Amino acid sequence: MAEVKFTKTHEWVKIEGEIATVGITNHAQSELGDIVFVELPSAGDKVKSKEQLATIESTKAAAEVYAPISGEITEINSELSQNPQFINEDPYGKGWMVKIKIDNAGDIPEFMDEASYNNFIEKET
Amino acid sequence: MPYILNTPAQIKEILKELGLSSEEELFSQIPESIKIKEELFLPGGMSEKEVSSAVRRIGKQNRNLNEFNSFLGAGLYDHYIPSALKHIINRSEFYTAYTPYQPECSQGVLQAIYEYQSFICLLTGMDVTNASMYDGATSLAESVLMSLRITKKNRILIAKNVHPEYRDVLRTYIKYLDYKLIEVPYNKNGLLDTASLKELLDSDTASVVIQNPNFFGLIEDIPEIKSILKDINIKLIVVLNPLSLAILKKPSEYGADIVCADGQPLGGDMSFGGPTFGIIATKKEYVRQLPGRIVGRTKDLEGKDAFCLTLQAREQHIRRQNATSNICSNQSLNAIAAAVYLSLMGKDGLHKAAIYSLNNAHYLYNEMRKIKGVTLPFSNIFFNEFVWHIDSAKDAAEKLAKEGILAGVELHKFYPELSGCILSCCTEKKTKQDIDNFITALKNIAHE
Amino acid sequence: MNENLIFNKSVEERGTDFINSPLKDIKTPEHFIPKEMLRDKLKLPSLGELDVIRHYTKLSRLNFGVDTHFYPLGSCTMKYNPKINEDLAHMEDFTYLHPYQNENLIQGALAVIYELEKILSELTGMKRFTFQPSAGAHGEFAGMLIIKAFHTLNSNRRSKVLIPDSAHGTNPASAAMCGYKVEVIKSTKDGLVDTDELKSKVDAETAALMLTNPNTLGLFEERIMDISQILHKKGALLYYDGANFNPLMGIVKPRLMGFDVMHLNLHKTFSTPHGSGGPGAAAVGVSDNLVDFLPVPLVDKKENTYYFNYSLKHSIGKIKPFYGNFLVFVKAYSYLLRLGRNGLKRAAYNCVLNANYIRTKLKREFMPASDKMCMHEVVFSCAKQKERGASALDIAKRLIDFGIHPPTMYFPHIVREALMIEPTETESKETLDYFIDTMIKINEETKSDLRNIKEAPHNTPVRRPDEVRAARFPDLRWKEHGE
Repeated sequence: MAEVKFTKTHEWVKIEGEIATVGITNHAQSELGDIVFVELPSAGDKVKSKEQLATIESTKAAAEVYAPISGEITEINSELSQNPQFINEDPYGKGWMVKIKIDNAGDIPEFMDEASYNNFIEKET
Repeated sequence: MPYILNTPAQIKEILKELGLSSEEELFSQIPESIKIKEELFLPGGMSEKEVSSAVRRIGKQNRNLNEFNSFLGAGLYDHYIPSALKHIINRSEFYTAYTPYQPECSQGVLQAIYEYQSFICLLTGMDVTNASMYDGATSLAESVLMSLRITKKNRILIAKNVHPEYRDVLRTYIKYLDYKLIEVPYNKNGLLDTASLKELLDSDTASVVIQNPNFFGLIEDIPEIKSILKDINIKLIVVLNPLSLAILKKPSEYGADIVCADGQPLGGDMSFGGPTFGIIATKKEYVRQLPGRIVGRTKDLEGKDAFCLTLQAREQHIRRQNATSNICSNQSLNAIAAAVYLSLMGKDGLHKAAIYSLNNAHYLYNEMRKIKGVTLPFSNIFFNEFVWHIDSAKDAAEKLAKEGILAGVELHKFYPELSGCILSCCTEKKTKQDIDNFITALKNIAHE
Repeated sequence: MNENLIFNKSVEERGTDFINSPLKDIKTPEHFIPKEMLRDKLKLPSLGELDVIRHYTKLSRLNFGVDTHFYPLGSCTMKYNPKINEDLAHMEDFTYLHPYQNENLIQGALAVIYELEKILSELTGMKRFTFQPSAGAHGEFAGMLIIKAFHTLNSNRRSKVLIPDSAHGTNPASAAMCGYKVEVIKSTKDGLVDTDELKSKVDAETAALMLTNPNTLGLFEERIMDISQILHKKGALLYYDGANFNPLMGIVKPRLMGFDVMHLNLHKTFSTPHGSGGPGAAAVGVSDNLVDFLPVPLVDKKENTYYFNYSLKHSIGKIKPFYGNFLVFVKAYSYLLRLGRNGLKRAAYNCVLNANYIRTKLKREFMPASDKMCMHEVVFSCAKQKERGASALDIAKRLIDFGIHPPTMYFPHIVREALMIEPTETESKETLDYFIDTMIKINEETKSDLRNIKEAPHNTPVRRPDEVRAARFPDLRWKEHGE
């Protein structure tokens, strides 16, 4: 089982072989509140690291989700269009957002592990 | 002092509570150097009676349309407004309320706007609309911005027979953004020149804007336009007169992506141009690109049906610089008035208002055709207004005005090439006598 | 839902005839228009006049308005809307006027615009005003376009606009609509613009700073003259968001604080009603050197005759068809005549007095966002109450049970659990005392009966509509059965 890693912009990423699965962190979903809408890219789209990947709306906020890594979208979680609350209920499971085929598997940016992410959000707030 | 309830004794009491000895101390945060020292050069205040006569006296310097037999239209129309409408709209529970952000205190406004949204969707056939825009022109500008966001392209084609002031406003809106606005000429029949449209279309084009009925009152050849636009990822934006939808095909049926209009024909006064309100409606897949407030139906704590503002993550108070628009205040009261108007008129009433206007305009047209010296340059397929030509139109219009007839809008100011042309409109309020009087007077002038 | 939708009240063949057939022979649309351009069915309800009157009268009674309830909604200036203004604006001499009538037939309308402009110029120190914008945000957009046009003419392609973190959301949105990047200026601990940060951010790319004064914390920006200097030194302009002008009427002129462009919300400061969300109107004023950039036309006067002046060299063009929300101007004009120079000053005094009274009486229970005296509105933080389990939202909702419209909540964003209270000058001490007592009572309840607050309001037509459901499953219009 691959380890879940974290970004400073509150995405999580799990890398298995050349595929990265991406979602938003538990902290991010709880800050946003009840999520009502998710706008995802389409399979086949190319995404660039640190550029906008998706948009999430709650009743009181809207947030951009950034791609943690460059590559091509191979799959999106189409369940989210009908059930955006999956991100609130199970951010690391049923709330996953996209799978990205990584462009350059040898060149993976550095992410935080759980402990350093927790540290990071504590400092941020 | 007018409208201030606190008495001198109460003011003293409050000052004491605040630990202040004078009202001036309330402003101690303001640097002395910038405070106004001298007396302002302003009127000294008036009693209500004096204000009443002063403003009435100014009003009398206008000559309102009761004094005339008017054929003015061109975007604002003199339709009959049922008395009941004003009695509802003048209820202060509607007009002294703020935006319905607090649903528990605003169910009436929210439901009325939900009903307004429903009416607009019924009329246009579109899936969704908002709680209103400022007016038809800014609705158009926002529709164009929507199309640019949806397609991520940068070129807009707009028919030259779209209302000139709407095109002006659109130009102002996009002046400093990196978009190209190109005008498509009209042909000798006053209709969108489809050959030019074909030529000007390219893959960078985000949207095509047409008006139907167009500014000249003419009904466009929609099937032809549609055939040119089919199979291309170009959004069709249609500006229209909402009353015309009582008889004309719904824009949803001919593939409109965004519909916009000024709502004034639906029970609004002309009011020297404002306030009216703007309609904007679209397909449901574009709902998150819509600007402005939207009312939705939901359930409350007890499971009761309830209304509230919704999809607010599009708006400026949440998304700030990334919002779909900066619009906050809109023209809610005018939109509610439109819902009341449509309820009062009903299916039959609205239909009658439309076909009476249609018949009156065509009667005027046919009578004009018989006048030597008057020509009718454009197509004869129109709704409630049309263009006619007479040499020295300015002169003719002035002479008619002296006889109490406002013939219409002279077009040379908007279209130099149409000098001598006048746009005249008939609503259901025109009687046969009104029209006959116009014709008689015009005959005399034309034959002079 | 407390009242069935109007569509469900339709009865086939019911209706009211409001107008007779104008011609003997009325032909069907097919006679004039090809069939393929006509619609087949028009689905609208059929109702009688009394049906409609009852329906909307019932709906009206489900609302709070200024005439029915205390409405201390911060930043919205919900003052009393004098009835004489309504009467005058609704005269046929104003409502039954077409904008394309010749100038000689509309001299009265032009006079209203001309005279209103004169008054606002004197009040603000600005040279000229346009009245085209329909609302505050529309005014901001016009004003920022003027700034853009000014810099562009000076071949000065400045790219960014500075906006304090306490600003109204419309400010950044309006700047963005002109193609500007928005940079946020942080507030200091005392709630004012941080001039050090401002200094470090103003550069050759800065087009303007948009500022509300008093700001959204209800505080006067004391260092305004420094702020003005910092910007002007670098060639940037200062934009005044006049949403909070009410306490400054007759006290300070924005032009003399260094502002170059400003807007006034006629529907806030000058007593025209909000109409459930609109129509409003914004007057945008500019300093001498920016007059040529205003939208066309302006109204001018020559030998006692008013006329439209289209000859502005660098005009940004039109921002609204015709001449603006004219009836709103008539209301504002009547109000200004009625109050006059002393009345306006009295209004400014009293709105500040009332806000500070609330601030002083509630500062033990609720935390003022600043230690300073406030101007026309006061912002409290309900952080203490939140610790006990009652949020700003809960407290706001509980106020409804006492017949008080909730204050603005969760704004400005820089204050946690914010309640923003603007009583306005037209409320009496008795009303303020009632509000203060109620707030104290609710604060007590946060200690003794939390559940009662969490479930508030108790006696309204609906209670806490589910906004999450509304957004997840949008139901935005009535649909016919089976559609």
